[in-house]
Parts: sequence; C-alpha cells; structure tokens
Amino acid sequence: MSPELEKIVPSELQINTSRVADFLARRLASYINEYSKRRRTIVGLSGGVDSAVVAYLSTKAVGPENTHLYLLPSNSTPREDMEDAKAVVELLKVPEDNCRLVSIDRHAAELASSLGKRQDRLTLANIKARVRMILLHGFAGVLGGLVVGTGDKSEITIGYFTKFGDGGADLFPIGDLYKSQVRQIAAEVGLPERVYRKLPSPALWEGQSAESELGIDYPTLDRILYRRFDLWWDEKSIATDLGVALSQVERIVEQVKKTQHKRYPPEIFKLSFRSHGSDWRYPREWG
Amino acid sequence: MRRARLGLAQLSSKIGNVKENAKRHFEVMKKARADKVDLTCFPELSLPGYSLKDLAYEVVDDCEVALDALARRTVEGQRVMCGYVKQDALGLIQNSAAVMGDGKMIGTTSKFFLPTYGLFEELRYFVPGNPKTDLRVFESEKCRFGVIICEDAWHPEPIQALARLGAEVIFCLASSPARGIGKSESAGELPIESQWLSLLKAHALMSNVFIAFVNRVGPEDDEFFWGGSSVVSPAGEILARAKRDETDWVTVEVDLDEVKRARRFSSFKDFRAEFHEVLRDL
Repeated sequence: MSPELEKIVPSELQINTSRVADFLARRLASYINEYSKRRRTIVGLSGGVDSAVVAYLSTKAVGPENTHLYLLPSNSTPREDMEDAKAVVELLKVPEDNCRLVSIDRHAAELASSLGKRQDRLTLANIKARVRMILLHGFAGVLGGLVVGTGDKSEITIGYFTKFGDGGADLFPIGDLYKSQVRQIAAEVGLPERVYRKLPSPALWEGQSAESELGIDYPTLDRILYRRFDLWWDEKSIATDLGVALSQVERIVEQVKKTQHKRYPPEIFKLSFRSHGSDWRYPREWG
Repeated sequence: MRRARLGLAQLSSKIGNVKENAKRHFEVMKKARADKVDLTCFPELSLPGYSLKDLAYEVVDDCEVALDALARRTVEGQRVMCGYVKQDALGLIQNSAAVMGDGKMIGTTSKFFLPTYGLFEELRYFVPGNPKTDLRVFESEKCRFGVIICEDAWHPEPIQALARLGAEVIFCLASSPARGIGKSESAGELPIESQWLSLLKAHALMSNVFIAFVNRVGPEDDEFFWGGSSVVSPAGEILARAKRDETDWVTVEVDLDEVKRARRFSSFKDFRAEFHEVLRDL
C-alpha cells in the first residue's frame, strides 16, 4: 500500500481487498438472484466513495447490464460530484440506458413547501435524502430490482444517515466495512483517485462536510469505533492509545448510543405472547 | 488391510425447506452409490438448515418424514449421517444427527455443547445431548465410527471418549459460519478455518483416529458458511479437503489399520482417568 493511501487507511483496519470484494460480490449476487429472485440492482450514485464501491460490487455481482445507476443531484450537490459519478459510470461500463440523471430539487421544494414556515436546514436535508429513496424504490418497482444501499459501518455505527432516506435501502453490502476500508477497496480496485481521496459529504446543503460536522476525521473515527466496539476497549485506553482527548472519544460513543434507534426497526409495544421485534423470531429466508 | 471409503457431502441447505433439502440429500446419496462410498456424511442440521430460530419447532415433523424416506433409500452395508431436529418424549428439541443404513434408521446422537455466544443462540432452542446415552459407537461392515456435532469438537471430551470407546473414524457434522473475512488471512484462509484445522489435527493426533469434518456451505440470512470440509488421519495429516465457499462432494479411501499403527508410536495408551476425576470434582 502506498504511503499516501496509508494515511487514510489505518494499518489495523487494512483488509485483503480482493478477498473481501469477491466475497461481497458473491453474496450480493446470491441475495439478488437466489433469495429475492430478482435480476437487477438499483444504486444511487453520488460521486462519493461508498456509492462508487457499491456500484463496482454490483457490476461484479450481476454484471453492468443488470446494474442501474441513478444520479440524483440537488442544488447543493457540487458539480465535481456529478462529474465523478459520471466517471464511475464510464469506468464500470454500465450501459447508457441503465443510467439516469434526475434533479430532485422540484420534488424536494414541493414537499418542503408543505411544511409551512417552520423549516430548518436538517429537516430539509432529510427530505432530500428521502426523496432520493422514494425515487430509487420507484425505479426498483418499475424494473423489478432491489435498492442496494451505500451506507458504510462508520456511518451506520454513529447513525450518520437519514432514517428512511439513505437508511431505507433493501440491503447494505458494505455495511460491515469502515469508511477507511471502503476507501482501500476503491483505491485497490482502480476507482478514480478523486473519488476515494475526496472529503466525504452527504452534500445535503452547500459546503456540508462530514468530517467538520462530526468534528473528527474518518481515520480517527474508525480507529475509535474499532477499538471500542470490535475490541471492547474502554474509552480512556482508546484516548491514550490514539493520543486524542478523552472527551472526543466519549462524544463519539455517546453518538453511537443516542442513534441506536436508527439501527432498529420501529418499536412495537408488546401486548401478546408473541410480538414482532420481541419474541417473533423467524429467519429472514423462510420457506 | 481394512479400508473404507468416506464421502463428505458439503451441501448448501435452504432454511426451513426440508423437502427441498431432502432432494439434495437424495442426489448426493446417488453419487455415493456410484462412487462406492461406504460412509457418507452431511453437515449439521443439513435437513432443516442451521439458523432456524423459531422454525426449529416447526420442522420436526418434516424432518421425521424425510429421515424415514432417506433411511429407506440406503442400501446394505452403506452408512449415511445427516443433521436434523429431533423432538424428545418431553416435547423438547435437540440438534441431532441420524445414522442410517441397511435400508433403515440405525441410531441417533445429539449435540452435547450448544454454542450460545456471539452469533450463536442454540441453547435458546435446543436441549443438549446426554453423554451417557448419546456417546455411541456405530458399526458398519467396514469400521467402527462415532458422530459428533460442530461445537463438540471445541471440547476435549467427546472425541476422546468416542475414540476410547472404540471408534476409528469420527464424523463431525458442522455449520461453521465465516467471520473475520479479509483480516489476518494468509492465502485467503479464514481465521476460523485455520482454527478448525488446528483443532482437527490436534484431536486426530491425541486420539489417533480419523476425523471427517463436514461443513455447511453457502448463505443463510446474515451468515455465510465457508465449507472446507476435511479428513484428517490419525497421524494428523490432511487427507482430503473440499473447496472453500462452494458446494462440493469429496471422497477418500482410508486405511483403517493406520489407527492402531499410529497408537504404537504415540502416548494414546497413557490415559489417566485421575484427571477426569479431578475435573469432575471441581
């Protein structure tokens, strides 16, 4: 691994890229074709590293001809992101007919207007994420495909996603890979350098940067999460080991706890002897 | 020279669909006959699937019907082992293995150690087997053999006891899911894979028996079973190895006299029951 790449992929998180990519592509193929009995994948391509890697895995799993990529920009989407998204489409040789660019501004604005005067930046941002998911599921319905989510383990763990927006996909093939590991895959399978080097951003408002919003860079975030939840370290040992303030580690762990509800299906208050979410426990694949 | 041909049926099962899984068993049994295999083994819970959760209670009848049909298809001298859910007289269920042959059911055994940690939750559903009744040595025309199930191999006693009761071959029906994928792997080998191989070799060396490990393969909900079924000799050599991540059918002929030869050059004879007395009184 190049010294440049090592700066964004901490050594303890480095993975055997080809093994992981092959495994995920195989699982994705089996989920789409055998479990769900579909053929096509529907992926929202943002120009960022997560969706680029998911699109790559999809082309490996079901082929470019069954991969459908949607570029869904808004007025806060940087122009470079769409350029990068188009570069990924070209690189993965996804047929032109399988790709569409749809601006979401009109839909988002109309929904926002129904909220009246009480609008705030975060609510409007979440509307954009949900409009995208409505469209992706619409395309999935029309084409008979599944919406393949692009959330990674870092963002899922700290709850940095919109409930029923980008969190509303059918499956999350890279949901057990930290952002650093997704970047490693992107670099090593030959996705454009600009895609895996750029600072991550949901681009839900102009100038939004994930790292400044979270108050931490992704390699450090990943190292904290890995130590706290994969290795079960206490917060003080993590702060000492990484040379970061204890308050920063505590803040991240607090964010994980506060967002637990986003990783669970909505709560159902138990009344009967056998309730969903409690003691109704059947496998997903059933029959 | 006493020889036996072992067949390892590394299957993928469809969860809860016993009828479909039974068809897959029939197909392998046909191959086993064509390949003149004496003892054929399927993975743990091969008939109903592994991650059954509440379905564990609902597959009991289907398993009984399927086992009856499978047993009737076995031929004289042949032995076939597969995994299923057994209901006992109290209505409780066990993670069990059936031994079939000569056109009938020959016997059953149940898992002693039920993993309930991490991704496993077997104790929620199953009651464990009883060593006093479930440690059984079965016989075929070719050899004496014992049967254990997956986690039983992660403890010293089941294989040791079966070997000392006279088993020459131990079949280990397994459903081992992959984890740690892409981390610390040499040549793509999973950490759990090298751990299993170390375990199998250590057991084979300590008890000087053949061990046939038959693992599930393929996806099941969030998990993926990695396969890699293997046969290890009484001298700790890997005699056969199935593919990783794919269904496979592997046969190997073993020389059963290797068991007694290996025991001439090992400390197998130095069994000290006092250790077990100490353990019992802990």
